[in-house]
Amino acid sequence: MEGSPSSWVTVLAAVGVAAGLILLARGLDGYRALVRVADTSTSPIETLAAGEVRVSGVVEPAELTLVSLLQSTPCVYYRSTIGNEGDSKGGDPGYTEERSIGFRIRDTSGSLRVFPRDARFDTPVRFEGETSLMGDEPPGLDIRRDGSTQPTEIDRATAEMALLTVQDPDDSSRRTWLRDRSGRHSYRETRLEAGDQVTIVGRALPFSDLADPSWADIGSGPDVLVDDPEVAADIAAARASGDLAHDASAAWGNAAIPGFGIGRPVAAPTIDPSANPLPLGDAIDAARAERIFDIAPETLVLAASPEVPLLIAHGAPGAVVQRGQTRFLVGLLGAVLAIASAMVFAVNLGGGLGR
Amino acid sequence: MTPPDVAAIFAVVLVFGVGSFIVLSSYNAVVALRQRIDKAWSNIDVVLKQRHDQLPNLVTAVRGLMTFERDTLTRVTEARSAYKPTAPIHDQAATSEATSAAIRSLFAVVERYPDIKAGANVLDLQDEIERLEGMISDRRELYNDQVYRFNTRITQVPGALLAPLFGWRPREFFAVEPGDAARPDTDLQ
Repeated sequence: MEGSPSSWVTVLAAVGVAAGLILLARGLDGYRALVRVADTSTSPIETLAAGEVRVSGVVEPAELTLVSLLQSTPCVYYRSTIGNEGDSKGGDPGYTEERSIGFRIRDTSGSLRVFPRDARFDTPVRFEGETSLMGDEPPGLDIRRDGSTQPTEIDRATAEMALLTVQDPDDSSRRTWLRDRSGRHSYRETRLEAGDQVTIVGRALPFSDLADPSWADIGSGPDVLVDDPEVAADIAAARASGDLAHDASAAWGNAAIPGFGIGRPVAAPTIDPSANPLPLGDAIDAARAERIFDIAPETLVLAASPEVPLLIAHGAPGAVVQRGQTRFLVGLLGAVLAIASAMVFAVNLGGGLGR
Repeated sequence: MTPPDVAAIFAVVLVFGVGSFIVLSSYNAVVALRQRIDKAWSNIDVVLKQRHDQLPNLVTAVRGLMTFERDTLTRVTEARSAYKPTAPIHDQAATSEATSAAIRSLFAVVERYPDIKAGANVLDLQDEIERLEGMISDRRELYNDQVYRFNTRITQVPGALLAPLFGWRPREFFAVEPGDAARPDTDLQ
């Protein structure tokens, strides 16, 4: 039977059943999200009440923004996937990186801080391409060279220095393992950037109710369970050996000084004697730095909770609902495909086709 | 059992599964909508109570100086005393509308008394009550939108098929009948 038309039909029918069921699962998942968005009314941020809410507005970055992996674009969320094209024997499974960071959403009445840990994102594809047959990388690919975060407000001196610094593409110290990968690859990146319209359904709660704001502020990163006895013992050992600092100033040095690197430092940093020091910030600068990083305990923020998951979707509520409807319809078509494929599969096994 | 029989059972199970999912999702959505309506109403009630508590302070602050505006003050006091948290939503909407109209009249009159308006206490109270009025307006809009979604869902398929089974009935909007709406007194003579 190998290589006969009926065997191909059987394989295709099996693939059809699997694909149809996958489409159906995605469609039903989209339907649940659709119902949630469609059945919740949009609340103005200024008069928001605690509890499950839907807000719609524009993304504003908070203190820090992320730098996306594939295009080095400032954003508040990205999911980057590097697939392995045609080199399945190399054992390269591909690479996916997903990160998010706290941001603000602004509507006509005000703005609200969003803590995206455990959120489900529905964001558009901003970049998609693959290595050409000649080995050329797709236009627009600019794999990140430096850190994955950067301050939202970069002071003028830092911005000028970044512009005037010549970047050597062959500098081995700046090459990353992602850039050194060989073979053909596919690239795909979805992002949420400052200025994007978003619709968020989640729980509004006072900032003081967040168990751990730092944990909630950064999504999709590795979780460190500090209450785990083994982890706690490792941390204690690292502190004892000097590998881990005891406080922020010992760990970060100048970066622990409010305003350092994002404006004027409010305390004297330790710098090279030959460097030209910036003038220290005054009380106003100190208050501003404090305002940027501190949120009043009673201020309402948006975050995920076990009872109310956080959904962050690109676009106005109507557009989000429409996408959900499309996914649901595709899911129903998937069910039809699965049923039809199952029929073909069964008839073929029974000797009805190709014989 | 032959392969076509298995395929037929697969198809029936799939169709039944999708149908059950839609029905269960609709049921859960209606239950969630009812909860959201109750929550939205509670949020209105909280602000109505806050406004109810603030009004005596405002009346007390302006009473001594507004010797010739007793009617306006009386209307505010009467509207406040008509507030009953346990009254039906329609009655509460009418009371709230009457209170808002009385407050607007009072604020219009206060504009004619620069000495009163300049008082820090009156200004603060006026700002606070205006803030509460804005919140009532926004939350009323939110409540009515949730009621609209609920009423629409239980009158559309599959909600319409489930409504008789579970006794779902359309909910009442937080709105006054045209005849019940009190018109603000804008006579500044």
